Amino acid sequence: MLVMKNINKIFQTADIQTHALRDFCLQVNEGDFVSVTGPSGSGKTTFLNIAGLLETFTNGEFLLDGEEVGQLNDDGRSRMRNQKIGFIFQGFNLIPDLNLYDNVDVPLRYRGFNAKERKRRIEESLERVGLASRMKHLPSQLSGGQQQRVAIARALATSPRFLLADEPTGNLDSEMAQGVMTLLEEINQQGTTIIMVTHDAQLAQRAKRTIQVKDGRVSELEKVTPIMNQAIA
Amino acid sequence: MFNYYLRLAWISILRHWGLSLLMVCAIGLGIGAAMTTITVNYLMSANPIPEKSEQLYYVQLDSWDINNPFNDGLSPPDQMTFTDSTNLMRAQKAFRQNVQAQAFGVIEPENPDMLPLIVNGRANSADFFTMFNVPFIYGSGWSRASDDSKEFVVVLSKETNEKLFGGEDSVGKSIKLEGNMFRVVGVIDNWQPKPRFYDITTGAFNDSEDIFVPFHLIVDEKISRSGNTNCWKPTGDGFQAFLASECIWTQFWVELKTEQDKEDYLQFLNAYVQEQKQFGRFQRPIDNRLSNVMQWLESQEVVADDAQMMMAMSFMFLIVCLLNTVGLLLAKFLGKAPEIGLRQALGASKRTLFSQYIIESACIGILGGILGLVLAYLGLQGIEILYGDSMKDLATLDSKMATLAVLLALFSTILAGLYPTWRACNIQPAQQLKSQ
Repeated sequence: MLVMKNINKIFQTADIQTHALRDFCLQVNEGDFVSVTGPSGSGKTTFLNIAGLLETFTNGEFLLDGEEVGQLNDDGRSRMRNQKIGFIFQGFNLIPDLNLYDNVDVPLRYRGFNAKERKRRIEESLERVGLASRMKHLPSQLSGGQQQRVAIARALATSPRFLLADEPTGNLDSEMAQGVMTLLEEINQQGTTIIMVTHDAQLAQRAKRTIQVKDGRVSELEKVTPIMNQAIA
Repeated sequence: MFNYYLRLAWISILRHWGLSLLMVCAIGLGIGAAMTTITVNYLMSANPIPEKSEQLYYVQLDSWDINNPFNDGLSPPDQMTFTDSTNLMRAQKAFRQNVQAQAFGVIEPENPDMLPLIVNGRANSADFFTMFNVPFIYGSGWSRASDDSKEFVVVLSKETNEKLFGGEDSVGKSIKLEGNMFRVVGVIDNWQPKPRFYDITTGAFNDSEDIFVPFHLIVDEKISRSGNTNCWKPTGDGFQAFLASECIWTQFWVELKTEQDKEDYLQFLNAYVQEQKQFGRFQRPIDNRLSNVMQWLESQEVVADDAQMMMAMSFMFLIVCLLNTVGLLLAKFLGKAPEIGLRQALGASKRTLFSQYIIESACIGILGGILGLVLAYLGLQGIEILYGDSMKDLATLDSKMATLAVLLALFSTILAGLYPTWRACNIQPAQQLKSQ
C-alpha cells in the first residue's frame, strides 16, 4: 500500500519558491490501477517521482508498504526502488549500448540474483512481452512499441509490487498504445499495483481509478469500481 | 559485480572510443614522460651492492690546505694521498681494506696478427674482489701474499678474456702488459655495478675496467696511473716526490662488520691524524669520515641535479595530463547522465554507481599505463641515443619499473576520476529520466 499524507514539495531557487505539491494526500491500495491526469505543470510527474523515490519531498509523510521512506538514506531508497518499484517511461529509457537481454538484466544485477536466476527472470519477462526471440537485439533495432515492451519486461523482471508509468504511451501511435495498455491491464490483473500518469483521457478511463492533480493537489477523485478507494482528505 | 562493471567499462570504452582514446593518450604521455625520468633517477640512485652496502665504507681524511679548505669546508677531500692510503693499508685495522687508483696500459697479444690492445685498468689491493663481491668465471682475485711479494698478476674482464683468449679459461696463462709479463689469475664474469660506486671520481656511470692489477705496480711504475689528481701545494720533482706529496689521487675503502668496528676504526683514524699532525701535516681540524656506500653516493650527488629537475618537470607534465583527463572523464560521465539516472531508478545506489565508474576510470588508467610503458621504453631509447654509452645501462625498464608504471597510471587515473565520478553519482535521476 502507498500512502501519502500532506506531502509538500517546494522547488527553491535563489529568488523563487515553487510549490509543486501542496498537502498532497493519496492512498493507493494493493492491486489498484490508478491513472493520474492533469494539466502540464500540475505536479503529476513530481508526484510520480516522489512515489518512485526518485525525488525527496519537503515535508509530509510517505509510507510505502508500511515503511516511512522519508527517513531512508540513499542505500535504503535504492534498495526499495529495486525491490518494490518498477518504472516505465515515456522515452522507454533503454540503454542503447546493451542488447535486450542485458537491458532487462540491469535491475536484476542490483538485486544480487545469481546468474541462473537472472537468466530465468529475463527470459520469462521477455517471453511475457512477446520479445523472447529478440533478446540479442539492440534497442535501436526495435520499433517504439517493442522498445516500450522491453521497458515493461525490465520493470517486471524484479517482480515489483508497484509499477509507475509516466506517459507510457506518449511516444507511441494509437495502435501500439492500445497494445501497451492491454499489456498493463494484464499485469495489473496478475496483482501488480500500477500508477500511470497520462494525458490521454481515453487511456485514463481504462484504469480502475482515476485521479486528477491540479496545482499540486489531488483535486478530483473518480471512483471507478466500488472496491477501489480514494484519496485521504 | 566486479566482472559486470569491467564488462560495462569495456562496452563504454568501445562505444566512446574517440574520447577514450584521447584519455588513454593523455595518461600514456604523462606516464611515459614520468617513467622515463623516474627510471633514470631510480637506476642512478639504486644501491649497487645491497647485500653489504652497510659494511663498506669510503674513507676520507682532511689533509687539505688550512687556508683554503676543500669543497669550501663542506666535506673532506674526496680522495686520499698516497702516503695516507699506504699507511692505512699497512696498519690493517679493518676486516678488509683496499687502496686503488685508475690505471691504463697497452697489451701486446701473443698473436702477431692482433693489434695491441689499449685497456682501461684498475690498480687495487687483493681485498678489492672479496670486498665488492666481484663474480668470477675462472679463477679468482690475487691473494694478499701476491700484493706483499709484488707479483705481476692480472685479473681480466670477461670481454678482455674474449678478445685475448677467445673466452677460454685463461687462468695460469700470461699476457704482456706495458712490456711486462703478467700471469692471469682470474676472469671476471659480467660485472657492471651502476653506479660504479667503488670509484665515482672518474665517472659514476662508466663501465668497469678491462683489467685489474696490484696497486704496487703503479708505485713501481710498471703501469701508468690515470684518473683525477688534486694538489694544494707544489709536489717537487720526480715520481717519488709526487708519491710523497699532499696530492690526492687514491681511493681507500674498508669493510667493517659492525657498528662497533666502525667506531673503533674512526678512533683509529683520529689517532692516526693526530699522529700525523706531529709531522706538520693535517693542519685543519680533524674531520675524518667513514661513509657507507649509499651515504657516499649521496654525498657525491651521483644523481645529477638536472636529472632530478627533469623528473620534477615530468611530474608536472603528468599532472597537466591528468587535469586533461579529469575534463575528458567529466565530459564522458556527464554525457551518460541519462543512463546514470536510469540506473538509479532501477536500484543502483550512489555507492554502486561510484564503483562502476571508478572501475571504468581504472580501466582507462591501465590502458594509459600500457601506452605509457611503450612511450617510456621509447623515451629511454632516445636518452641512450642522446647520451651514448654512459646511459646504456641506465636506460632500461625492468619489471619493477614496468609494474610501477602501470600502478602509477592506475592510481593517477583513479585520482583523476574521483571528481567526475562524484559528479556522476550526484546526478538527479528524476530530471534525467524526464528529459530523455
